[in-house]
Amino acid sequence: MGTFGGAYNTIAFDADKCDGCGDCMTACATAKVGVGDTARSRIQIAGNAADGFELALCRQCADPKCVTVCPAAALTKNYANGVIDWNGDKCVDCLLCTVGCAYAGIALDAGTGHVAKCDTCDGAPACVPACPHDALTYITTSRIYNEVGDWEDLFAPGLAGCQGCNTELLMRHTLRRTGPETVLATPPGCVPGMGSVGFNGTTGTKVPVFHPLLTNTAAMLAGVKRQYKRVGREVLALAIAGDGGASDVGFQSLSGAAERNEQILFMVVDNEGYMNTGMQRSSCTPYGAWTSTTPVGQGTGSGGMPSQGKTQDAKNLPLIMVNHRCEYVATASTAYMEDLYDKLDKAIAASKRGFAYLHVYSPCTTGWRFPTDQNMEVARKAVETNFVMLWEYNPADGLHFTRPVDDPLPVTEYLKAMGRFRHLSPDQVSHIQSKVVENLAFVKQMAHRESA
Amino acid sequence: MTTATLETPIPTKPAKQKVMLVEGNEAAALGVALARPDMVAVYPITPQSSLVEHVAKLIADGKMDADIVDAEGEHSVLSVLQGGALAGARTYTATCGPGLAFMFEPYFRTSGMRLPIVMSIVTRDGITPQSVWGGHQDAMTVREVGWVQVYCETVQEVLDTTIMAFKIAEHHDVMLPVNVCLDGNYLSYGTSRVELPNQEDVDAFMGVKDVNWHVALDPLRPMAVDPLTGGSGGKGPSTFVRYRKGQCKGMQNSLRVIEEVHAEWAQRFGRSFAPLVEEYRLDGADYAIMTLGSMTGAAKDAIDEARDAGKNVGLIKIKTFSPFPIDALLKSLDKIQALGVVDRSVGFRWNCGPMYQETMGVLYRLGRHIPSMSFIGGLAGADITTGHFHRVIEATEKLLSSPAPIEPVWLNEKD
Repeated sequence: MGTFGGAYNTIAFDADKCDGCGDCMTACATAKVGVGDTARSRIQIAGNAADGFELALCRQCADPKCVTVCPAAALTKNYANGVIDWNGDKCVDCLLCTVGCAYAGIALDAGTGHVAKCDTCDGAPACVPACPHDALTYITTSRIYNEVGDWEDLFAPGLAGCQGCNTELLMRHTLRRTGPETVLATPPGCVPGMGSVGFNGTTGTKVPVFHPLLTNTAAMLAGVKRQYKRVGREVLALAIAGDGGASDVGFQSLSGAAERNEQILFMVVDNEGYMNTGMQRSSCTPYGAWTSTTPVGQGTGSGGMPSQGKTQDAKNLPLIMVNHRCEYVATASTAYMEDLYDKLDKAIAASKRGFAYLHVYSPCTTGWRFPTDQNMEVARKAVETNFVMLWEYNPADGLHFTRPVDDPLPVTEYLKAMGRFRHLSPDQVSHIQSKVVENLAFVKQMAHRESA
Repeated sequence: MTTATLETPIPTKPAKQKVMLVEGNEAAALGVALARPDMVAVYPITPQSSLVEHVAKLIADGKMDADIVDAEGEHSVLSVLQGGALAGARTYTATCGPGLAFMFEPYFRTSGMRLPIVMSIVTRDGITPQSVWGGHQDAMTVREVGWVQVYCETVQEVLDTTIMAFKIAEHHDVMLPVNVCLDGNYLSYGTSRVELPNQEDVDAFMGVKDVNWHVALDPLRPMAVDPLTGGSGGKGPSTFVRYRKGQCKGMQNSLRVIEEVHAEWAQRFGRSFAPLVEEYRLDGADYAIMTLGSMTGAAKDAIDEARDAGKNVGLIKIKTFSPFPIDALLKSLDKIQALGVVDRSVGFRWNCGPMYQETMGVLYRLGRHIPSMSFIGGLAGADITTGHFHRVIEATEKLLSSPAPIEPVWLNEKD
C-alpha cells in the first residue's frame, strides 16, 4: 500500500434520514467505554437551526489539521486504513487538536480526562448498524480505489476518447485488474478508436493488443488462448468489444466461441450503437432512440413506421449469453464500480475454466446527447429506473440480481436525461415503460427459474 | 536466409517409404499429420469434408498431436488460426467454394499479417448455378489476395505438396499463407497409390518451427498488432506502402523458395515435381496446350497420342499459379509458335479463362506475337477427356495458319 493521501473507508451521514434519536451515540459509548453514556460517544448528533440534525465525527481527513497542530506527535495518519490514530502514551492533554478540527471530530472525554475520537471500530463501526433509520452507512468503495491505485495502469496517458466518456475509465480499470499477462482484442469501435491499438506505429497499450475484424473477435482470441494453453502458459485472453460488433455482425463468432466454452473473457461495452463510426443503430439500440440511421423526421422509415427513432426493441445480448450456459455472465455499470469489480474478479476466474461474458452499459455523451459531466448520472438513472438491470449468472447458482431496485423511478427520469429521446411521443414513452416492466418480469422469472 | 533444415544432412539415398492406397483428401490429411501442426480448425463442406474427417480421426487415434477446433463456420476457422499463428502455432485448415467465399474477410487479412497458415482448397465451382462439384472457380476468384497458390496434379503430389507448403509458408523470406489446391472430385475422391514419407525424415526436412518471430501476441514481447495506418499525409500512407511492397516481395521470394523446397524434397524423398511450370514433350514442339491441376493427366495422354500421330505439340502445366511464374513461363513460351490454354473456371471480365488472361500478360513480355486462344472446360465436375484435349490440340494447331478466335471454346457445352 502506498503512502498517498487517497480515499479510505468512511462513515457517511444522511441528514434527511436522521431524527436525532441518539441510538448511534449510545452504541458508540457502549462499544468504546462500556456504558451507554451518550456524552462519552465519539459520534455526536446535534440539532441545528433548521430543525434538522448535524453530525460531529472524525472525518479521518486526508490532510488532518489535528495531526498538524499536535505538539506531541500523538496523532498520526495511518496510511494503511486511513484512520487517524491517537496515542495516549504521547498525548500531553493540551487539547490543541480539538481547536484544530473543524468538524468537532475529536473532543475531551470527561470520563478519562483525555481526548477521544472515532477509530471506525477497526472497520466495523458500532454506530452504523445501531441507526434504525439507515442514516449512517459505512462506505467501502474506497477499498477499490486504494487497491486499484497500486496496480499498474496498462494504457498510455491521453487516450483519445470523447470528453466525458466512461469507456477509458472502464478500460484502464479492467486492464489494471487483469494485469500484464493479458492479450487484449479490441475490434473496430470506440475502444481502438481512442488509440488503444494505436496509429502509425505507436500504441496506447502496454500489453499485446490487436484489432480483430469486427466479425471475428471471439474466434481469433480463442486461437491465441488455445496455443498458450497448449504450451502451458497462463495468459488471459480478453476482448473489449462494442455492442454492434458483438450483437450484430460478430455474433456468430461470439456464439460459436461460447458454445465451445473457449477460455476467454469477452467484455461488451454497450453504448447502444455504432458510436465510433457515427452513431448508427445497432441491434442493442433501444426502442425510440435517435441514431444517425434511425433519424427523426416527418416521413416514414422502417416498415412504414413514422421516423421517430428506432422502431424495434433492443436485443438483450447478455440474456442470450446466459442461454449459452457460459461459465459466467453478468451485466454491470460504471456507476456501480464495486459491483463491476466484483463481477470482473468472477469473470477473470471463470475465464480460466471457460467462456466468461461481461456486459457493461456505457452511456455515450456524444451519441446519446447529454452533457459531458453527466455520464455517471445517466448510468445510475438507467439502473434506478430498471431500464438496465444488474445481475449475474453462473451455471451452478443460476441468475441473481446484484443491485435489485425494488422501488424504481419512472423511466422518464432516465429518458429526459439525454437528447436522443427528446422527440418521444407519450405513446413511445409508455411503450418503453411497459417494456421495462416486461423485461424486469422476464429476468425475475429467469432468476427464479435458474435458482430453482 | 539460411534455414535450420540445412543443418540436417540430406541422406544420399531416400529411405524406403510405406505404400498406401488413399484418396486425395486422405493424402492431404496424412501430409498435414506429418507436418505436425499445433492447431487445425475445421468446418465441413463438400468436397472437402472427408479431408477434415481424416484429420479429426488421425487426432482422435493419437496419430497426430494437434489442437482441433470445430468452429462454427469458415470465417471463424481462419480467424481461430490467425490467433493461433500469432501465438506461435503452426496452423492448418481446408475449405472450398462457398466456404472460401464466407472466409474471405479473414482470408484477405491473413496475407497482410504475413501469417504462414496452410490451407487446402479442395476446389469447387462457384454458385450459382447450384453445384457441389469440382472446378477452379473458388481458388481463381481469390487469386489476387496475396496467398501463394499451388495446384496439384496427382494424389501423391497432394501429399508431398501439403508438407512442402508449410516449409514454403514459414520460410523467413516468404512468411505468407499457402493454398494447396487439389481438384474437387478428381483428386479429393480419386484413389491412388502413394508412398508415405517417414515421420523422422519429414521432421528433418521441416526443421525448427518459428512462425511468429515477425508478429506476435505474446505478453513476453508485447506489441500492437496491426495498428491503424494514418490517412493522407504524414507517415501513414508510406507505412501502408511498405507493408504492401513487402507482401509483393514475399510473393516474389516464394518463387525461389518453392524451387528450393521442391529440390530438397526430391533429394530427401526421391520424388520430383516441377515447382513452378512443367514442360511435357515441349522440346521441338511447334505449339502447345497449357493446363492446370488434375486435367493434366488426360492432357498428357492426348499429347502422347498426338505425337504418335505426327503432330508437333507439347504441354505446359502450371503448378504455382500465385505468384504467377512469369520468368519460368517465358522460357517455355519462347519455345513455341501457338498456344491453347485450358481453364477449369471462368474469367467473367475478359470472357475467357483466368489462366489464359494471366498468360496473355506474359505473352506481352515475350516481345513477339504468339497466337493463342482460351478453352474453358471441366466446370461443375465435368470430365475433360482425351477426346476434349484432341479438340484443343486441333484448334490450337490451326492458330499456326489461321487467325485466332476471340471467343473462348466451351469444351463441355455439348457433352
